[in-house]
Amino acid sequence: MEAPKQKTTATKATETVKKVRQFVKTMYTSAHEAKAQGKPVAYCMILSAYDEIVRAMDITPIWNENYGGLCAAKRDAERFLNRAQQDGYSDMLCSYVSTSIGFDALRKDLDGMPPNAPDGGMADPDMLLGTGMMICDPRYKWFQSLGRYRDTPVHCYSLLWPPTDANLEEVMPYYVKHLTEQLRGLVDFLERQTHKKMDWDRLSQTVDLGEKTQRLWWEGYQLRKSIPCPMPTQDAFNAFVPAYFALGSKEALDFYQELYQEVKYRVDNKIGVIPDEKYRLLWGGGLPPWHTLSMFDYFQSLGAVFPIEVTYRPWDPVEVPPSVTDPLERLAWRFMKQQTFRHEKAQKGSGVPEVELLLEFIEGYRIDGVVMHLAQTCRTWSLAQIHQLNVMKQYVKVPTLFIESDIVDVRMYSEADTQRRIDAFIETVAGYKTR
Amino acid sequence: MTELGSKGDGLARVSELYQNRHRRAKELRSQGKKIIGYFCSLTPVEFLTALGLVPYRITGSALEPITRADAYIETIMCPYLRSCFDKGLKGDYDFLDGFVAPHACDHIVKIYDIWRYYLKTRYTHFVNVPHMSDASSRQFFREELAVFQRSLEKLVGNSLSPHLLTEAIRLHNENRALARELYRLRKPDPPLLSGTEVTKTTVAAVTIPVEESNELLRGVIQEVKECHQGPRKNARLLLYGAELDDIAFTRMVEEAGSNIVMDDVCFGSRNYWHDVEITNDPLDGLITYYLEGLSCPRCYKPRLGTHQEDLENRLGYLRDHAREFDVAGAIVYVIRFCDTFEFDAPDVKDFLQGAGVPVLHIEEDYAMTSPARLKTRVQAFLEMIG
Repeated sequence: MEAPKQKTTATKATETVKKVRQFVKTMYTSAHEAKAQGKPVAYCMILSAYDEIVRAMDITPIWNENYGGLCAAKRDAERFLNRAQQDGYSDMLCSYVSTSIGFDALRKDLDGMPPNAPDGGMADPDMLLGTGMMICDPRYKWFQSLGRYRDTPVHCYSLLWPPTDANLEEVMPYYVKHLTEQLRGLVDFLERQTHKKMDWDRLSQTVDLGEKTQRLWWEGYQLRKSIPCPMPTQDAFNAFVPAYFALGSKEALDFYQELYQEVKYRVDNKIGVIPDEKYRLLWGGGLPPWHTLSMFDYFQSLGAVFPIEVTYRPWDPVEVPPSVTDPLERLAWRFMKQQTFRHEKAQKGSGVPEVELLLEFIEGYRIDGVVMHLAQTCRTWSLAQIHQLNVMKQYVKVPTLFIESDIVDVRMYSEADTQRRIDAFIETVAGYKTR
Repeated sequence: MTELGSKGDGLARVSELYQNRHRRAKELRSQGKKIIGYFCSLTPVEFLTALGLVPYRITGSALEPITRADAYIETIMCPYLRSCFDKGLKGDYDFLDGFVAPHACDHIVKIYDIWRYYLKTRYTHFVNVPHMSDASSRQFFREELAVFQRSLEKLVGNSLSPHLLTEAIRLHNENRALARELYRLRKPDPPLLSGTEVTKTTVAAVTIPVEESNELLRGVIQEVKECHQGPRKNARLLLYGAELDDIAFTRMVEEAGSNIVMDDVCFGSRNYWHDVEITNDPLDGLITYYLEGLSCPRCYKPRLGTHQEDLENRLGYLRDHAREFDVAGAIVYVIRFCDTFEFDAPDVKDFLQGAGVPVLHIEEDYAMTSPARLKTRVQAFLEMIG
C-alpha cells in the first residue's frame, strides 16, 4: 500500500488565491496548445522588464523559474536535479536552473516529454529570452547552458540598474537610455523570430494595463496592515503569480480586483488568518522554500502569522515622466525607478535600501519578528541577509530567525531542525513582546 | 630607490613581494601615494595609473582560516571574497585609500556594499561593467567610465587628459606583453619556470605600481632565461579557473608530479593575453578590451549557430592554449558557489575533451581545506594521462 503523500503546500486563507493553481496549470496547457497551433512559445524569466512586450507580440511565455517551484511543490524535482548534476552541473547551482537544465536534458535523452512531468511539462520553446542583469548571474548563463540540449535561438540583453551609492540625477538618464535600446533590440529579435511586426499601440495599451495591475496589487497589500492579518504570506506566494507571469493581461487585472475586494471584506469584518493571532512576522528575505510551504502552517500552529513579505511583492508605485510616451521608454523608466526606489532614502539613512524596506514593513505592519530564508543555491537573494539584519538591528530590536534550506532541493531541508528553530524563535518573540 | 624598490632581484624579489605583499604599498603610501584596492580583471586600472594612483589588487589567503567574516556574510558567498573581506576585517587592508569593484558577478555586487559599510574605505566606486558588448552596451559603458573618471578626478584634485590615459594604457599594455613573454618561457619541456613560480610572479606583479611591475617582470624574465634551474620533466597541464591567487593549489598539483605550463585564471593569462588597442579616443580601446577582450565566462558572447559553433566562439582559445603549450591534460578548478564558472564547467570539460585534452573537473573551496583528498584526485588524474 502506497504511503499517503505528504502535504507540502500551506493552508490558504483567501479564496481568490486558491484559483492560482488552475492559473498555473493553464499557463502550461496554453503553451502546449500554442505550440500545437504553430504559435511562438518562449522560455522566459521573471523581472526581465519584457512581460508586456512578449504579450503584445502574442508569444506564449513559459516561465522556467515557476516550473522549478512547481516541481518542488510536487516533490518531483529530484530527477531533474540529478540529471543536471550528472552532466557536471554543481549541486550549488540555482536549483531553478538545475531543474530546467535537467528537464531539457531528459527531454533530449528521451526524445520526448519526461514521463509524468508536472502539469504536463514545459512545451518545446521556439526561443529563449535571458538577461544580463544587475544581479542573478544565472540569468545570462542559464539559456547559454541549455545550448547543450537544444539548438534554440537565444536572445540575452543587458538589464542593469545603478548601485546603491550612485548619484541618481547623474546616472539615471543613461541607464534609462541603455535599457530602452536593449528593449528595442529585444523587439527586433522577436520580430525576426515571429515574422511579425510589433503593434506599438497594442504595446502601449498592454503597458497601461500592466501599470494598472501593479498599482491595484500594491494597494491591496496595504490592506494587510490590519489586525488581525487578513491575508498571510503563504497566500502571497501564490498571489504574485498573475503579476509576475501574466502582466498586461485582463486576467491578471481581474485577479487583483477580486483579491482586493476579498481582502477588504476580511479587513472590514475583522476576519483573520487564525483565531488567536499572537505574533506577526515578516518574511524578510530569500526565495520561498517551495518544497515545504507547509511550514507556514507550523508557524500558525504556534500563533504566528505573516502579514507581509519582502519576496515576490508588488513593485512600489512609481511615476514615469509624463513626457515619456514611447512604450519601451516607459518600461525602462518604470523598471529603473522601481529598482532604485529606496536608493536615496538609504543614502540619507541606513545605507542599505533593503533595510529601509524592512524598517517600513516592521512599522507599517506591526511586526514582532523577522524570518529570513537562506536558500543554499540562491546567491542572489540569500547573500547579504546577515548584513541587512545587522544594520536593521541598529534601528529596531526585533528577534530574527534564519531558516536554511533551498528553493527547490528538498534534500537541503531538515524538517525537524527547522521546526526546532521555529519553536525557539517563537519563544524569543514571545519574550520580546512581554518586555 | 629604496631597498624594496631595488631592481633586478627577479624571483627573490617576487617571493619577497608575494610573502609581504602589502609592504611596498604601505611604503608608497607613506610617501604620499594613494593606494586603490580593487577586485577582478574587469577593473579599468588604466584610469588609476593615469591619475597617479596605485592600483592594488586585493587577494585572499587559501591557508588563513576565516574567523571574522562569518558574522557579516553568509558561508555561501564566494569563499575567495570571504577570505579577502576577512582579511579586511582583521585590518590587513587598512592601508587602502580607496576601493573599486567592477560588476563581475553577484558576489562582487554584494561585497561592494558590505565592504564599504564595514571597512569604511575613504573612496569607493562601483564600475557597472555590462555583460553584453552590443552598441548600446558600449555607449552605456562609455558613460559609466566617464562617471568613474570624474569621481577619480575629484579624489585627486586633477583632471585626466586623453593623452595621460593613453600613456597609462601603453604602460599596462607593456605589462601584458611582458607577462606574455614570461608565459612563453613555459613552452619548452621542461618549462623554464614552474606554475607555482608564475603564480607568485603574477600575484606579486599586481600589488605594485605598473612601472615597478614591468621592472619586476623584466627581472624575472632575464633571470629565468640566463640561469634559472627550472622544474623537472613532468606531465604538462593547463589550469582553468577563477580567482586562484594562492600557490597552495598549484604547488600541490606540481608536487604530485606535473608542471602547470599554462593557465586561464583571473590572476594569470586572462589578465594578460590581449592588449588594449591604442585608439584616437582611448575610451574606444578600453571599452573593447573590457567588454570583449577578457576570456571570462561573465563576458557574454551571443550564441552563433549551433552549440558546437557557440563553444568554438566562447572557448576556442582554450584549445589553442592547450596546443600552443603542448599540454597533456587540463584541470578545471571551480571555486564552490561560483555560479559563473559552475555554469561553464561542463562545456569547458566537453570542449577540451573533444579537442583531445583530458580534463579533471574539481569543484572545491578556495581554501585548501582537504589537501590530501585533492592530491589523491590529482595523482589519479596524472596516472590516467600517463
